Amino acid sequence: MDNIAPEQARSALDAADRARRQVAEEVGLPRGYWWAMAAGWLLLAVLGNVLSPWVAGIATVAFGVGHGVFASRLLDGRRRTDRLLVSASVAGRRIPLVVVGMLFGLIAVTVLAALALDADGAGHAGIWAAALVAGVVGFGGPEILRVLRRWARA
Amino acid sequence: MTEARFDELIHPSTRLSLVATLAAADWAEFAFLKDRLQLSDSALSKQLTTLEEAGYVATERRLSGSRRKVRARLTSTGRDAFNGHIAALRAIVADATAPAEGPPV
Repeated sequence: MDNIAPEQARSALDAADRARRQVAEEVGLPRGYWWAMAAGWLLLAVLGNVLSPWVAGIATVAFGVGHGVFASRLLDGRRRTDRLLVSASVAGRRIPLVVVGMLFGLIAVTVLAALALDADGAGHAGIWAAALVAGVVGFGGPEILRVLRRWARA
Repeated sequence: MTEARFDELIHPSTRLSLVATLAAADWAEFAFLKDRLQLSDSALSKQLTTLEEAGYVATERRLSGSRRKVRARLTSTGRDAFNGHIAALRAIVADATAPAEGPPV
């Protein structure tokens, strides 16, 4: 230990930190989760158009419960790929909150987009708004989550 | 608090990166480690074997479809050794940056 120069120690610490950050980059949710969410988004919008409001409401609640049951294991962000399991200390405990917050934000965007399209006279405004947001979720979900994580320092 | 203990086995840069990667994960697959550390199959195998012989790493072979995959994880001994090594490195850096004690001669 005596023959280790401080510079050597510092670069070793940097290397260890770099390795940890590389693993932290793996925090997130699997691609399949985002596409399933996008499909659910669109399906709920279609059901909302073709079913009576209370049946559509039940479908929405069922979707929320299904999400809670099936995705709860994924929401900690430690299983983005099947190539590693990120440790709980690296993933942190705020990922589920960030994901749920993001979903609420996207609901708000869907409603606002539907209102705007409806005001513009578009038919099936809810479906078009959901299709737009579903596309955003499917293609950009991982990137949006990455940005939100950075903002929330999660 | 972790006791600072310099570990000669962990210190070489490739092995340090490997152990640091495993310390940040519950387990990692051989292919992931190979990609991240940019090592050949044989080089990574050699490093894992060295760490496994020291009791720092445990590997597990799993069948995934028709392919056999290897998972590696840090053992509690390995985690303690890594934490002790990091503490020792921090102590070296801290000693170098601390102001010298006593009046100048």
